[in-house]
Amino acid sequence: MKFVCLNCETYMNFEKVEKPGEDSLGVFFGCPSCNAKFSMVTNAGETQMVNSLGVKLGGRTVEAEPFEMTRGTLKAEATAGSGQMAAYLNEKIQGGQPAVAATTAAPAAKPGEKSGGGCPFSAMVAEMGLTSGGKPGDTETVTSDFTWSADAKEKLDRLPSFVKPMVQSSVEAFARKQGYKTITLQVMDDSKGESSNGITWTSDAEKRLENIPDFIRPMARKEVERVAKERGLATITAQVMDETKDKFMKFM
Amino acid sequence: MAVEKDLKAILRNLKYSDDAKVLEQISEHTRQVHARMAGIKHKLVVMSGKGGVGKSMTTVNLALAFARQGAKVGLLDVDLNGPCVPRMLGLHGQSLTMRPEGAIPPVGPLGVKVASMDFFLEDAAPVRWKGPMDVSPVWLGLMEMNVIREFLADVVWGELDYLLVDLPPGAAADKPPVIAGFIPDLAGAIVVTTPSEVASDVVQKSVTYARDMGIKVMGMVENMSEYRCPSCGEVNELFEGNTEAMCEMLDLPLLGRIPFDRTLARTFDKGQPLLDDTYPTIQRYQDIAGRIRTLLDYKKVLADKL
Repeated sequence: MKFVCLNCETYMNFEKVEKPGEDSLGVFFGCPSCNAKFSMVTNAGETQMVNSLGVKLGGRTVEAEPFEMTRGTLKAEATAGSGQMAAYLNEKIQGGQPAVAATTAAPAAKPGEKSGGGCPFSAMVAEMGLTSGGKPGDTETVTSDFTWSADAKEKLDRLPSFVKPMVQSSVEAFARKQGYKTITLQVMDDSKGESSNGITWTSDAEKRLENIPDFIRPMARKEVERVAKERGLATITAQVMDETKDKFMKFM
Repeated sequence: MAVEKDLKAILRNLKYSDDAKVLEQISEHTRQVHARMAGIKHKLVVMSGKGGVGKSMTTVNLALAFARQGAKVGLLDVDLNGPCVPRMLGLHGQSLTMRPEGAIPPVGPLGVKVASMDFFLEDAAPVRWKGPMDVSPVWLGLMEMNVIREFLADVVWGELDYLLVDLPPGAAADKPPVIAGFIPDLAGAIVVTTPSEVASDVVQKSVTYARDMGIKVMGMVENMSEYRCPSCGEVNELFEGNTEAMCEMLDLPLLGRIPFDRTLARTFDKGQPLLDDTYPTIQRYQDIAGRIRTLLDYKKVLADKL
């Protein structure tokens, strides 16, 4: 913030800062030409705003201490009564008992072993309409011009609602292009292999891509396709793979 | 009557000077953050748009997983209003040691160094700042950002292989991606979600916003994938959703799935974390840490294996 002396048409110089009250700052400015003095006084909100910047107006004379602002602005009285609160919580939550050893915290029941209705999640699972395997009990019907095989439909139905239309549309676009009438799991998988920019992969290139750990394979696929695109190629061959590899060798 | 002055014309002839030295100090703050972070090889933030998805649990376990693999690890808990990392690691009640060169962080299990707002608070006390709360919207955000800046600039981490930053919850135009933007040479963000559609929806927004801020989102961890009932032993999925499909749509690798594990959670609740690397859920965290290392070494992997 700067002030202008309108008589002299010049910026006033920052001179000093004082603290006229607990939540106030007095910032003094002087005109270098006519020597007029001017003081800006901040209200509590403005004072806090300046403090929140973590700066000292006019600059520092001594080095800042670690966590100077954090320690200086935490309200000490906020901790009043917190000791009693902690004791209360400890008593109510832990019953005042010392923490038990980690390995004995919860004896696991054997798989399949039923107990007298103590499962805290059964009701929730039932409410969600899931079977014991976590599969949805009922699903929406796929509306489509294509015939979806039962397993493909199940896979589609398991997608989150916001993803489902996009995936369905993408798979069907692929099926239409390939002349398929039925969507199977294979068609769904193949549709993923076709990139959005129409690039195709030879089987050799696909095989080499499998050397990459599966969770980063999609990223690697993109990198290779980027190289192909840069070279104006529509098919990923072993040569494109070599060129991509060379590109990354340069980073080593 | 005084002649009206044309301020625009006056300013055209004046040269601005920062004589209150505000800009100079703010630049110095940035320099200090860069200097402090210089000894850290990989800086990662752990975020999620949704609260309650187990972000802190994931961050803590990933820190322990890296440490188990022999790395030097720091963990910065910047959830100012709900810091829980120290309690989970049995460090609650300890504090940063203030020295002229900076704040020395306490060292937790497996040598993990920890900094958290919790170290400034009394038991069960909330964070409360001095200042007029009736106008807090004016200054509170700025204050919190500068407190986080102090955590980045003032903690003496020394040489680290990994610094994991546990961000507060929040989605789109909110603090987390902005905080991540403070961190120089950030390697990327790990996003935590649960397979519920509600969480997926919000997490998706936070990924988009982080990318808008230029933050590299490295991958996603699905937490609370399934639950083994300690009473009946039956394993069920907790939510109906498909994180894999979401990852595919967002073009992100799914780094791993973590079950809801009451036994493990209890040990962290009590500040006595289970550290046994043969424990199945811990092995899953180890796998995720391994994948993150691969991602950090992505270019080398491509050069080697393609």
